[in-house]
Amino acid sequence: MRHEIICAGIGGRGVLLASTILIEAAIKSGLKAVASDEYGMSQRGGSVVSLVKVGDFASPFIGRENGGILLAFEESEFYKALLFLKKGGLALVNTRAAELPPSIAGLLEKREITCRLVDGDGIARQTGMFQSANMALLGFFAAFGITPFTKEVLEETIRSRVPEKFLAKNLEVFGKGFDAATKMGAAGDRRTDIV
Amino acid sequence: MHSREDVVIGNQAIARGLVEAGLEIAAAYPGTPSSEILPGVVYFKNMEGSRIHTEWSTNELCAFEVAFGAAAYGGARAACFMKQVGLNVAFPALMRSREKSIEGGLVIVSCDDPGPQSSQTEQDTRLIAALFGIPVFDPSSPAEAADVAYHALTWSFENKVPVIIRSTHRVSHARESVPLYHPGTRKVILKEGHVAGAGRKLGIVASGMSCSLVYDVIEELGASDEVSLYKVLKVYPVDDALGKFVDSMERVLVVEETDQVIEALIGDARKVMGRRDGTVPSAGEITYDIVRDILSRVLAGEGGSARDPFVPDGGIEEALSHVAVVPRPPKLCPGCPHRASFFAMQYLWPDAIYPGDIGCYTLGISQGAVDTCLDMGAGVTLAEGFYDAFNQDGKLVPILASIGDSTFLHACMAPLYDAVKNRKRFILVIMDNSTTAMTGMQPTPQTGITVDGTATRGVAIEDIVQGLGVNFVRVVDPYDVPAMIRTIGEAFDRLKEEPLPAVVIARRECLLLTKGAVKDAGYPADIERDCIGCKSCLKTFDCPAMSFDEASKKIRIDDSLCTNCGICYYACPVQREGKALKAAKKAGTP
Ligand code: SF4
Ligand code: SF4
Repeated sequence: MRHEIICAGIGGRGVLLASTILIEAAIKSGLKAVASDEYGMSQRGGSVVSLVKVGDFASPFIGRENGGILLAFEESEFYKALLFLKKGGLALVNTRAAELPPSIAGLLEKREITCRLVDGDGIARQTGMFQSANMALLGFFAAFGITPFTKEVLEETIRSRVPEKFLAKNLEVFGKGFDAATKMGAAGDRRTDIV
Repeated sequence: MHSREDVVIGNQAIARGLVEAGLEIAAAYPGTPSSEILPGVVYFKNMEGSRIHTEWSTNELCAFEVAFGAAAYGGARAACFMKQVGLNVAFPALMRSREKSIEGGLVIVSCDDPGPQSSQTEQDTRLIAALFGIPVFDPSSPAEAADVAYHALTWSFENKVPVIIRSTHRVSHARESVPLYHPGTRKVILKEGHVAGAGRKLGIVASGMSCSLVYDVIEELGASDEVSLYKVLKVYPVDDALGKFVDSMERVLVVEETDQVIEALIGDARKVMGRRDGTVPSAGEITYDIVRDILSRVLAGEGGSARDPFVPDGGIEEALSHVAVVPRPPKLCPGCPHRASFFAMQYLWPDAIYPGDIGCYTLGISQGAVDTCLDMGAGVTLAEGFYDAFNQDGKLVPILASIGDSTFLHACMAPLYDAVKNRKRFILVIMDNSTTAMTGMQPTPQTGITVDGTATRGVAIEDIVQGLGVNFVRVVDPYDVPAMIRTIGEAFDRLKEEPLPAVVIARRECLLLTKGAVKDAGYPADIERDCIGCKSCLKTFDCPAMSFDEASKKIRIDDSLCTNCGICYYACPVQREGKALKAAKKAGTP
């Protein structure tokens, strides 16, 4: 099994936590994995991209149009990261928007990319957590059941990673993300299969 | 057997290897991408109950000499950590140490920054090591870095020679599973030599993260029948096997970051492709796409089997050109107190000379309040030079140098004394945020806290400045923009009277230290309401929470980023605060 995953967002919004949970979930499941924490300058509000590769890879870096999965925690960072997503890939985007600009929608169509817009911030806010869109998006992603990133494995990893104080709330947001995906049947009707 | 595995970044892995090898003394000066090593040592020493002395040094020379002293004369197993340009600061001692045999063991970890991403220059630590005959390792992954660290300290102790480990940000900040052993029992695997491929004609020699990238790209291109990959781990002294490998191949491609080191050590210019002949770009980070491109080209040129070269889908750029992509260049954080300082400096004298420094504060460039970025401490000494140049022409122009508090202690005390002694007239703004923010919030000496949380004596910057002979020293809260403007103006008036530098300390905690909460914050920014769309705040203030909304032709504030500091009101000419600033400008007219 091989996965090349791109996590893109902006600083201070838990992108690194999300990628750390993904790599730890893979390792927990007995797979080889490597990730790259893309630190730039220490700042809030700057672009952050963190990459995770699962399988027999030596480096954590992803070539242009090679990534299979893109988790975008910010709409505008989603656009930039599209360069790294391969034809037939999967993209989950945290956004309040109900649809994407026509040029992007057309591009996704042409490149056979399955794309889901998730109001992660909205889901997080429902539980009073303002900075937990990352958990909502992970929960949504879990609904796709892509091995090894099942609901159970991701939940267990979150338990071991998130400090006790915030754990219950984070799991709640994660669960709500999962439910949202199930409710809209997001995982079904996939354009292509991710292997 | 190892006891367990931990998923850690490269810098923590290096720390782990050293702790397991019996490290006793560790000193460091923070600098991206090396900053997580020392906290890693603290973490693992607590985990193992090891007795290790750990300290943040005031600069890299201090760190090096503390470690060297402990190793050379104290017989200890010691290590020091720094970034590549930090090694320059430690250079005098490094040069001397290589000829001295040490009693104990000494490992120097120097982290390079290809790109560069957060440094003023690229620089290859391996080149310095090879040039001056110091053994140097170039690990290719976090797990390997742990083994290398363990091996290096053990080997150094046995052979009484200092050893350098060169990491890059791509290894230091990569994350993977690393086995943890009981101290003293690590099973070290040093992989050097032929690691992949069965080609007999084209050999690739690579080290560090470049080698890992080449490995992945060979897989992607399915080229393992056509090439052989030779991995170099110990860059100096070179292993004999490398020469044999090169001899056995018709052509050799060298991929390494960032200078020609292995390439130069191999020599043979007719056979070797690399940076010298332009096959590999001469500067900048080696990315996945660059390796894929080089390999595809070289394979095609070498008559490799026909394969479809990678052709990027230009449709992506086309589609992106129709949407507004926020560029997000590096900026000071929303609410950063020092954006306010730069604003005040710039407001007073838009045309002053602004010698700047390294760190977050270089970012003041976007507000027009930083003109130079040479090296740590140069803000002060450049100001001296500028002063002299204008003074010879009989002019007193406003020169406003700025530095951070950590940099002041690192490199500016001697320059400031130099300025006092040599009667230089300029204003120095020391931006004191009580931390080394850019590299991950290490406490600076004036806070009185050490790396493992124990208390030490804190030193106030104003006392040092006074002690160095400066008469005009004022401490101001940069959020009080009128007071900043007034004080800088008064400082300039003082320059007219006495031939001495004047110092303004702008003191307010870094927002990352206060977890984003603004102490005695202003009011929620509803600057949008009265906005007339002049964009002057974007030019002079440049807060990441602000953007210009083309639809409404007004400023828009991103609530999730805004900290309600309220400072942007000063930057807006239609707000009460902005109008009132004119009065503060009275003093200090050149
Ligand atoms: S300076 Fe004031 S009026 Fe001008 S764009 Fe900014 S907020 Fe609007
Ligand atoms: S109040 Fe103004 S300056 Fe402060 S964070 Fe918000 S937008 Fe930025």
